[in-house]
Amino acid sequence: QSKDSFNVRMTNAYPPGSPFYVQGPGSPMDFCKKVEEMSGGRLNIQHFAAGELLPALEGFNAVSSGTIEMNAANAYFWAGKIPAAQFFTTVPFGLNTQGMNAWLYHGGGMELWHEIYEPHGLIAFPMGNTGVQMTGWFRKPVESVADLKGLKMRIPGLAGKVYSELGVTVRLLPGGEIFPALERGVIDAAEFVGPYQDRRLGLHKAAKYYYTTGWHEPTNVTELLINKDVWESLPKDLQMIVKMAAQASVTESLSWSEAVNSEALTDLVQNEGVIAQPLPQDIVTSLKEATFDTLSTMAAADPQTKKVYESFMAFKEKHASWAALSEKPFLNL
Amino acid sequence: MKSLIQFIEKVVEGFGGLARLCVLALVLLVATNVIFRYLFSIGPVSLQELEWHLISPIALIGLAYSMKHRADVRVDIFYDKFSIRKQGVIDLLTAVATIAIGLYITWLSIKYVGQSYRLQEGSPDPGGLPMRYLLKAFIPIGFGLLVFQGIADTLTAYLKITETKNEAIKIAEREAI
Amino acid sequence: MIGNEWIILGMIGGFLSMMIIGIPVAISLAVSGFVAGYIGFGPMLFNLMPARLYGVVTNYTLLAIPLFVFMGVMLEKSRVAEDMLETIGKAMGGVNGGMGLAIILVGVLMGASTGIVGATVVTVGLLTLPVLMRRGYHPSVACGTICASGTLGQIIPPSLVLILLSDIVGESVGTLFAAAFIPGLVLAVIYILYLLILGIIKPDLVPAIPKEERALTSRSQLIKDLLRNVCPPLLLVVAVLGSIVGGVAAPTEAASMGALGAILLAVSMNRLNWTLLQEALHGTLTISAMVFFILLCAQPFSLAFRGLGGEQVVHGFFEMLPGGELGAIIFLMVLLFILGFFLEWIEISYIALPMFLPIFSSYGTDMVWLAILVAMNLQMSFLTPPFGWALFFLKGVVPPGISIKDIYLGALPFVALQLCALLLLFNFPSIATWLPKAIGW
Ligand code: NA
Ligand code: NA
Repeated sequence: QSKDSFNVRMTNAYPPGSPFYVQGPGSPMDFCKKVEEMSGGRLNIQHFAAGELLPALEGFNAVSSGTIEMNAANAYFWAGKIPAAQFFTTVPFGLNTQGMNAWLYHGGGMELWHEIYEPHGLIAFPMGNTGVQMTGWFRKPVESVADLKGLKMRIPGLAGKVYSELGVTVRLLPGGEIFPALERGVIDAAEFVGPYQDRRLGLHKAAKYYYTTGWHEPTNVTELLINKDVWESLPKDLQMIVKMAAQASVTESLSWSEAVNSEALTDLVQNEGVIAQPLPQDIVTSLKEATFDTLSTMAAADPQTKKVYESFMAFKEKHASWAALSEKPFLNL
Repeated sequence: MKSLIQFIEKVVEGFGGLARLCVLALVLLVATNVIFRYLFSIGPVSLQELEWHLISPIALIGLAYSMKHRADVRVDIFYDKFSIRKQGVIDLLTAVATIAIGLYITWLSIKYVGQSYRLQEGSPDPGGLPMRYLLKAFIPIGFGLLVFQGIADTLTAYLKITETKNEAIKIAEREAI
Repeated sequence: MIGNEWIILGMIGGFLSMMIIGIPVAISLAVSGFVAGYIGFGPMLFNLMPARLYGVVTNYTLLAIPLFVFMGVMLEKSRVAEDMLETIGKAMGGVNGGMGLAIILVGVLMGASTGIVGATVVTVGLLTLPVLMRRGYHPSVACGTICASGTLGQIIPPSLVLILLSDIVGESVGTLFAAAFIPGLVLAVIYILYLLILGIIKPDLVPAIPKEERALTSRSQLIKDLLRNVCPPLLLVVAVLGSIVGGVAAPTEAASMGALGAILLAVSMNRLNWTLLQEALHGTLTISAMVFFILLCAQPFSLAFRGLGGEQVVHGFFEMLPGGELGAIIFLMVLLFILGFFLEWIEISYIALPMFLPIFSSYGTDMVWLAILVAMNLQMSFLTPPFGWALFFLKGVVPPGISIKDIYLGALPFVALQLCALLLLFNFPSIATWLPKAIGW
């Protein structure tokens, strides 16, 4: 091996075999392969799914301390350490995928991301996107805000907080227990990802009402986390290869998700008797109010979060007025 | 030497009391969470997180406690047939290995807990429990206690070996007379 | 420079020798893992150790361990379990092996609410072994039965093995749960048949309660005893299961219903007092910690195995893979069985499965069937001496006088029975594939 070649390790927050999150077009394993081929084998990344080297959510600390060089996950998993990290994955009622990419690549998002991770000895790039997700699976139809009261729902994170403002009982459950709990009615509703991933979990066997849209996750960015020292030790060309392979993965994973989700949704509705429909408007309105209360409280509590929140919201406002004249009329055609 | 052993075991037993309390709390907490959620749709995120937070003290403080109460699993095919003195030698090896493992893991995990403290790490879920470093601190506490218990076990094994040796010398002396 | 393959062999050999001379299993695991890892790749990778330990002690599904153990200890200390088994033994009349059947049934019921082998084996062992011994069961047969019935939870849904496999083979969790249901019951039935046959050909190993003693209990007294001694604890296990089926509790938290029920039962029988509670807490703590001690100390071992490139060694075997679907399946089964002698099931499935599965998708193998074959094989790995974890867990709770040798010997026939079940499933795939199709999962 020449002096110029590098062997690094990448851990992942998702278990082995997961499509999109681990393997398949635009996935982290695919990224590793791309980098190896683009660099002619000079940068070799060995990939480890969750549980192989590290438990699912330990990537941040391991990469920060330099034990592991790279990690694949979602930034909002680190919200317990850096509250502002939430904004680099998705924000309820926030930017959609086009807007998110615009903010990250050309609206100052990425600079903020790097600034916030700097003190932790980290640098991060977007490496994938699921596109918009779904509201989730409900055992009974929900028609008004009153139907949410006392509803037991599996929903982690910020969205859980918003739902609980509306009287939903939030239940935290590991992925594997979602199906049995929903099937038996221990929970009345569950959020996971989108049609393709949800079908793999079998959630349609447990509940028939599939609500849309993913107000809580209008986009979802996969995070490539790199130890800063390792990053700086890479020559410029390898750095560029990593950046470009990550950007290619964003496009590829997103387009793959769009393709398989449309197939899966059609199958669920036509062959599995799933009733897919939008959330009633008054529920959406109440959720929206609760979300902005929650977000502004969050921003007020932490100056760093406030800075990111303000950048995000200012960009969203600009982008929304453009989208209202471009995408929206087109979708209504 | 015996008083040192007694002192160490008292400390381990004291921590064990805390862990026993966690067992009781766990049983009552999980059951209460289930019942309250089913009957009244009440289920705060913090109390759900507390459920698995309680595994940590039980498992980690329990290490030294189970060593003290000889609840560790060993393959006894040959051990049972060994003389007391030979058993003492195995016990001594075990105790020294226990100290080494305990020290190494304690040392490794202090950095780990320190990192979590610097990050002021808490739950990523709003409404979840803060101060995750306290939870992580049970790793060095548990393995530190294990070192402590290992010291007691070393002394006990040493006494087991020397006492049987003295016994053997006494018997030999008696036979010589 | 020694080849890593040799260091891996040295690690396994070192573990075995330390274990054989009587150094506790957990300590042997950790020492061999640390030493081999240190020789092979130095200290760097061990910086991951705290995160892995943290992963073990914050694993939500492992809540089932203290909860079920508490239920078991409570039932044992309040002598509820003893009364129950004695009564069942009497009710079984002259049928040899009767109490053994009860153990299999308890294993099935508990297995239906958790997939944590440590929790089930320890609880069932605690409850039943002393009574079985007193009643003249052969120690090996008793231990084998308990270990086998405790590992049933691995295949009977919900099960961690199936959840992990669903990700790897790309079938839904629900499909695999449905597919595993009948094979799990088939296995239980095979165990029961074995005990009954053993009762006929070697009645001394699994004796029924002597006729003279049974004669002391009148028929009406027996019915009364059944209602008083058997119903309540059975109700407890049913309550655990019922709370899942009835939508009250998710699988892991359901174990708390058993624990709470055990307290209430002791209260209702006027047996709960401060001493009993203290003893129960002490017992739960030592036994749970014993299980966790092994789970924690296995971390250096599996980290070293991976760091030493154990994965590549396993992948090396891959080159011996014969052509054809049948050959590949048999090869996979044999490989899993051999790995099962010294590796933990999670490690096995992570290392061996992802590389095999693309081959089988290209053959068009029924993945549901394959997953259940794999799950059964992995379940067997809990029972295979010398490193079967169910055997260690049971060792932690056996009364003095029962050695690991008894446990090892007892497990062997059940490993053979598992092989039979595996062959059965191999020849009749519909045992697994019928139910998911029939209920549309
Ligand atoms: Na199970
Ligand atoms: Na094994």
